Amino acid sequence: MKKTKKKPVNIAKAAKTTIFYIFVVGVMVALLLPIYFIISLSFLSTREAYTYPLPLVPALKTQFKLEQGKRGYLLSVYDRVEGDYESVLDTAEPEKMQVYLKSQLATPMTMEDIEQQIARLETEDVIYFTRRRNLLGNYQTFFGVAGFKAVPALIRSLQICAMTIIISLSIGGMAGYAFARYAFKGKDLLKFSTLFVRMFPGVAIAIPMIKILVGLNFYDKPIGLSLVYSIGNIALTVWITASIFMGIPESLEEAAQVFGGSKARAFLRITLPLALPGLAAAAMYSFLGAWNETVSAIILTQFNPTFSVIVYQTVLGAVGQVNLAAAGGMAMAIPAVIFTFFIRRYIRQMWGGVTI
Amino acid sequence: MATLTLNNVTKRFGKKVVAVKDFSLEVPDREFLVLLGPSGCGKTTTLRMVAGLEEVTEGTILIDEVDVTDLPPRRRDVSMVFQNYAIWPHMTVYENIAYALKLKRMDKKTMDKTVKEAAEMTGIAELLERYPAQLSGGQQQRVAVARAIAVKPKLFLLDEPLSNLDAKLRVATRTELKAIHDKTEATTIFVTHDQSEAMSLADRIVIMKDGEIVQIGSPDDVYHRSVNLFVADFIGTPPTNLMDVDLKVENGDCRLVNPDFDLNLSAENAANLKDHDKKTLVLGVRPESIVLVPEEDGVLAAQCLVSEPQGSHQIVAIELGDRMVKIIAPSDPRIEAGETVHLTFKQEALAFFDKETGLRI
Repeated sequence: MKKTKKKPVNIAKAAKTTIFYIFVVGVMVALLLPIYFIISLSFLSTREAYTYPLPLVPALKTQFKLEQGKRGYLLSVYDRVEGDYESVLDTAEPEKMQVYLKSQLATPMTMEDIEQQIARLETEDVIYFTRRRNLLGNYQTFFGVAGFKAVPALIRSLQICAMTIIISLSIGGMAGYAFARYAFKGKDLLKFSTLFVRMFPGVAIAIPMIKILVGLNFYDKPIGLSLVYSIGNIALTVWITASIFMGIPESLEEAAQVFGGSKARAFLRITLPLALPGLAAAAMYSFLGAWNETVSAIILTQFNPTFSVIVYQTVLGAVGQVNLAAAGGMAMAIPAVIFTFFIRRYIRQMWGGVTI
Repeated sequence: MATLTLNNVTKRFGKKVVAVKDFSLEVPDREFLVLLGPSGCGKTTTLRMVAGLEEVTEGTILIDEVDVTDLPPRRRDVSMVFQNYAIWPHMTVYENIAYALKLKRMDKKTMDKTVKEAAEMTGIAELLERYPAQLSGGQQQRVAVARAIAVKPKLFLLDEPLSNLDAKLRVATRTELKAIHDKTEATTIFVTHDQSEAMSLADRIVIMKDGEIVQIGSPDDVYHRSVNLFVADFIGTPPTNLMDVDLKVENGDCRLVNPDFDLNLSAENAANLKDHDKKTLVLGVRPESIVLVPEEDGVLAAQCLVSEPQGSHQIVAIELGDRMVKIIAPSDPRIEAGETVHLTFKQEALAFFDKETGLRI
């Protein structure tokens, strides 16, 4: 019989690996935990949102206890953390109870239902009942409070993003190609100067921007904002695309010309598909920049705010309702996340020979 | 299959840089022509002008007697193999080869046949569905060649196609290229800085320096009848040994004198040099034209500095004056460093160059 030798454990190496993974997991937790809390918070009721400790997951149902109170009917709610019922409201008016149920406990009940439960008190001292929570309540409230403004603002924001991508990608992409392929006087200076426009904070040049946009009749219009956003994004796009185009050997285009294509066809059939990952990355930057921007949008819009402005205003207005602010934040983040996931496919689509 | 004519072609970049100067050349049908020269001599620029990738500053280029000087590359009916192969990474091998055929509106069946023929000829038939990133350097090079021969061009242009391959593959591939040329009989222009590649492939070699043609000739011509010091030094491994010598004519005898040796010239060489009495010349002698002899027959004696055995022969280096002289000697007897060797020159293989102009006498 052979004895299998135990491999000597390399302690230093094992320790190194362990520390590495602890570090990685730590970073991940640090990054993901706030995001998780925002998501979870956006589904909590107002009452839950202000309990401590915060529940990790929102409850799907609310358990009630109803009995005769000093002033009228005493409503208690089961607290998952305490493991006991906690009195929350003592009122004689069923209408008040309905409002409280909806706004504070995110458990809407019809008047009929409430009166039925109250009627049961005539025969019993204490009654218990369970009702389903409205999980999307915060989102409904958010869009309800923002009212008729939220949806048009969302559409407006998407318009602005699309226009910003088109403007900055077409102009910046062409400039990037020129910087990558042609030698001309003052090339480096020009390339650096595209970044100079990013030096000025939007607030600092707000007044001249307003004046110019008003002059162009673009004030308070999506096109005006997308022009403002494009200025900064063109610079970024120039740098991203120039490096992409530089990474694609010119001889690939030349070969296409020798083998029967015109210059334009060589660009469209060879260079453009190869540059797609870079262009997608540039588009993503443009989208996120335009989508998230709030400061200039507050200054440069009046009656037609963007979605980020709406969220900002709602968050400001939602004092004492942190769960509502979370719902607004989520509504803001979701389109950006969707767009990034969609475009990620192109960024990952790197062709073998071209390293970017 | 076609002829190519370049008439006084000049290429200037900006106002000052002259890449190609007054280049005139006729390439007959089916010739394998090699443009050879050190880097920066304008050989690639010349090729790119023929392809149409570089504008011609002055002069004209004719393919089959048709002026193509101002035509875009796609109208010239040429094909090209690039130094970095330039095969398109987002297309499969098949698509790479078929691209040009598609643009020519070739029907599917013929196209398929043509692609497969080209792949067969270059030995990549089983790689057609792969992407370039999945191929080795040698296979990529074959794809580039297959793509170029599939279009059956009038002119086949190759820009240092072997320079990115390793030494062994390079030698094997150049034999294959030669075979493909023999099969397709396409007029071929091949650019290289590697003289042994040029020697082994070319029908004719055009040696260029500083944008100008230095010599046009067969491999034998440029090797044995180099027109000047540059060619003599550039062609051959090891290159021609060059030594300063004084010519002395005394009572009918013609002698080359040098601190290291004193050589009586043969009647033929003497007749050739009779007008250059008392001048300092440059003697050019190929490494294989210096022979080891017994002591009594030697014109000069020297200590072996280094000897490099090559299997079939050995290269013996000696120092004459301040110059290193290399000799190709038979591998037997083996010569050791420090050994004294006695040498003489093969009179019929000596070349003489004017010291001032560098031209051959």
